[in-house]
Parts: sequence; structure tokens; C-alpha cells
Amino acid sequence: MFSLEFLQTALLYLGYILIFPGFLFCFVIGLLLCGIDRKAVARMQKRVGPPILQPFYDFFKLCGKETIVPAAASRTTFMMAPLLGLSALVVIQLFIPVFNFRVFRNLPEVADIIVILYLLLIPAVSVMMGGAASGSPYAGIGLSREMVTVLAVELPLVLVLLSVAKTVGNAMGTGLVFSMSGIADYQAAHGSLICRASMIPAALAMLLIIPGETGNHPFDAAEAETEICEGLLAEYSGAPLGIFKLSHAVKMLTLTSLFVALFLGGIGSGVVRLIAAIGLTGGLASAIALLLQVLIMVLLCIVLTLVTISFVHAVTARLKIEQLFKYYWTVVTGLALISLVLAWFGK
Amino acid sequence: MFKKLIEESTAKSPWLFHINAGSCNGCDIELVSVLTPRYDAERLGVKLSGTPRHADIVVVTGPVTVQSLPRVLRTIEQVPEPRCIVTMGSCPQSGNVFRGSYSIAGPLSKYVHVDVDVAGCAPKPEAVIDGLVKAIEILREKRRAMN
Repeated sequence: MFSLEFLQTALLYLGYILIFPGFLFCFVIGLLLCGIDRKAVARMQKRVGPPILQPFYDFFKLCGKETIVPAAASRTTFMMAPLLGLSALVVIQLFIPVFNFRVFRNLPEVADIIVILYLLLIPAVSVMMGGAASGSPYAGIGLSREMVTVLAVELPLVLVLLSVAKTVGNAMGTGLVFSMSGIADYQAAHGSLICRASMIPAALAMLLIIPGETGNHPFDAAEAETEICEGLLAEYSGAPLGIFKLSHAVKMLTLTSLFVALFLGGIGSGVVRLIAAIGLTGGLASAIALLLQVLIMVLLCIVLTLVTISFVHAVTARLKIEQLFKYYWTVVTGLALISLVLAWFGK
Repeated sequence: MFKKLIEESTAKSPWLFHINAGSCNGCDIELVSVLTPRYDAERLGVKLSGTPRHADIVVVTGPVTVQSLPRVLRTIEQVPEPRCIVTMGSCPQSGNVFRGSYSIAGPLSKYVHVDVDVAGCAPKPEAVIDGLVKAIEILREKRRAMN
């Protein structure tokens, strides 16, 4: 028989997966970020723009549309690919600490940057799988472009993560710290990493990686709707398309919250200190602290989305795939390398 | 409740797909102008999609030439239900100045059910938006009739 304690833990983790940092949170906040992005771009172009809730309408509309599976498609892969991508993103969200709140509090070595790096690939791979399974020539072109985009973005991302790990490792005197909770703990005690001069180029590189990784303008050569009919998504319709659109929105949340966790993690400890200063203690205080931290996290994600996705979308035109590749492997990699070198030789 | 939600959402997020069936490009430019800051159809949730699979409303321009007819019909078939077909300009409705030409197979209503006709050569953006709003209402009715 299962003990009561086991049941409690199981329920707690189910709650984590389905509600708070997991599915429901990702669904609501991700689509909200997407809506804010569309509204902001519209305002920057002097348009009225769609309502903030537009991505929710789009998602529910797509749920009610007919799903057409092309005759040339491999049915199982075509239908399962969107679910694979979305679930990978939800798992990443579990690994990213919200300041002091961590799902794997008792297992600090579980949540680790390298796992996040691997999991971040899965949504891209799932889109490629689904596109390839659809048997459309447009998806074929989209596939090769998506692959180049992933390759281009991955190198600077690895360098950014490595320089963060090295900086924290240097300060702790333990070589490299890959654990997400280790990085969060360090920032809670010693202030945000972005305050260090050596980390500023890495933070800039990470800001430039966000639109590339989500496939937003100007790095959307893989999904160019005016050119190759949305590329990989050309044959998708109905609910699977809705799930891909949802994954795209959740990816915005994942990357912006990853940025917050890596570079702005010191802000959360201020909240804890503030609540301690007021004199609140016990369960209520920790609940309020958690609520405030989540609120700050969401606000920071919105600000980051506006800066890195909306603003960049409004002022740029789509890059060709070779320009995109060159840009990431020179400018962005260069920025990340500066940080890595500075971090490696200490300070 | 979920059905109601989907129905409301269908009315709030119509995605367009534009087919040029031998148009002179006048209507095509007017359709794009509907999305510009001045008229901004995106406030109704309208988005121009690149593939018929994502579309809810198909906008056909041009007098439907003999060459384009099979392609137009095939593209319309690729749009998932519920879908709405809107013709834009006088050409797909009557043939306009090309009426009686050997190369014209139109009007479009001979081949598929057309939901809304927006007449004019080219129609004003206001007329196009009016037509789209009518199409959205038909789309909502079609969604209600499903299951």
C-alpha cells in the first residue's frame, strides 16, 4: 500500500506539473506574453492592434477547426510532434527556478543547465519532425532553414551558459556550477549576475538569442509566411496547429524566464528581506513572498518580451538564412566569448 | 460552455487566405491596404496567412481564368471547415470588363458556393472590411452548425 506521505508528494508534484510552474501557468502566461507582443508591435506601427487576449481566441478557434492530415503524411508522427514539443517546454519550465521557489528543492543536482540546453532543442526538433512527416516541399525548405537556425543559435547559447557557470563556479570556488538552483542560490546571496561587468556581454548575447530561439522577426526565415507558406507548419491545421502556436508562445515565456533566472536572480531576495522587515513570519509570509516573486518574474518576462521580441520585430525586416547564421556566429558569439574569457580569467 | 468558447473565438480570429485568380493586381493591393495602420483589420483578429490550411476566410480576386480555375478549386478544398469564401471586386462576380472573353471561366459562383460578394473595381477598404465582418457572422453560424 502507498503511504499517506507518498500520496501527498505525488499530488504535490502533479500540481507542479499541471498547475503552477507547469502546464496551466505556461498556457496562460505564454499566450498573454504573445498577446502583449502583438499589441505592442501594433502600437509601435501606429495601429490599434488586436485585443491582448487574441492568442487565446486563436488557440480556441484552432481547436474547433477541422484537422486535415495530408495523404502523403505519416499520420502518427504528424499528430504526435506538437505534443512532444509542448511537453518538453513544460518540463523546462519546471527546471527554471522562480527566484527562491524551486520544484526540485530537495534534489539540487537534478535541475541543471545542460538538461535545459538539451530540452530546448526538443521543440525545434519536434517542429522539424512534424514538418518532415507532412510531406510538403515547403516544409522541406523550412526544415533545412530551421536546422540552420538551431545550429546558429546553439553555439552562442552554450557559450553564455558556460560563462554563467564559470562565473558562479569561480565565486564559489568549485570550478563550474551547472546546477540551476546553485546559480539561483548564489544570486540570492550575492546579488544579480548582471551587476558584474564581465557578465554584461553575455546578458546582451542572451537578449539577442531570445528572438532567434523563438523564431520571431527578424530571425523567422524558417517560417517565412510570405515566402515559403509558413515553412514547416504549411500542412498543419486545426488543433495540432494550435498546439504549435501555443508552444511558440510558451517558448517566449521559457526563454525570458531563463534570462531572469540566469542574470536577474538577485531580485527575489529583496522581496524576502522586505517581508521580513515588515515583520511577517510563518506560512502567510512565505505565501506572500512566493506570490510577489511570481508577479515580479511575470513582469520581468513581459518587459523582456517587449524589448527583445516586440521592439526588434517592429524595426527590422526578415534576414536571409545565411545572414542570420553569419550574424549569430560573429556578433552574438563574439559577445558571449568576451564574457567567457573574462569569466575564465576571473573578474 | 466549451462549445460556446470555440464559437466566440471563431468569430474573433478569422485568418485570411488570398487567391489571385487572374486579377489585375488592383484588388490585391486594396486587400493589403486593409491591414495597414489606417484601416487595421488586425483589430478584428484578421491575419493574412501564408497557406490555405491555416485559413478561415478565402478571398478570391480576379475573373477566374480558365488556367486558374482548377487551382482555385483545389486551393479552396484545402481550407479546413468551417470556411467562408469571399469574392473581392467585380471580376469574380460577373467577369467585369473581361466578360465574354475566351479565357474566362468565371463567375466563381458557378463552381463553388460563395458566401459574400464585395463589388467594386477595386472596392474601397471600408467595403472590404464590411464584407469581412459579414463573412465573420457567416463563419460563426457555420461553426454553430457543426456538431
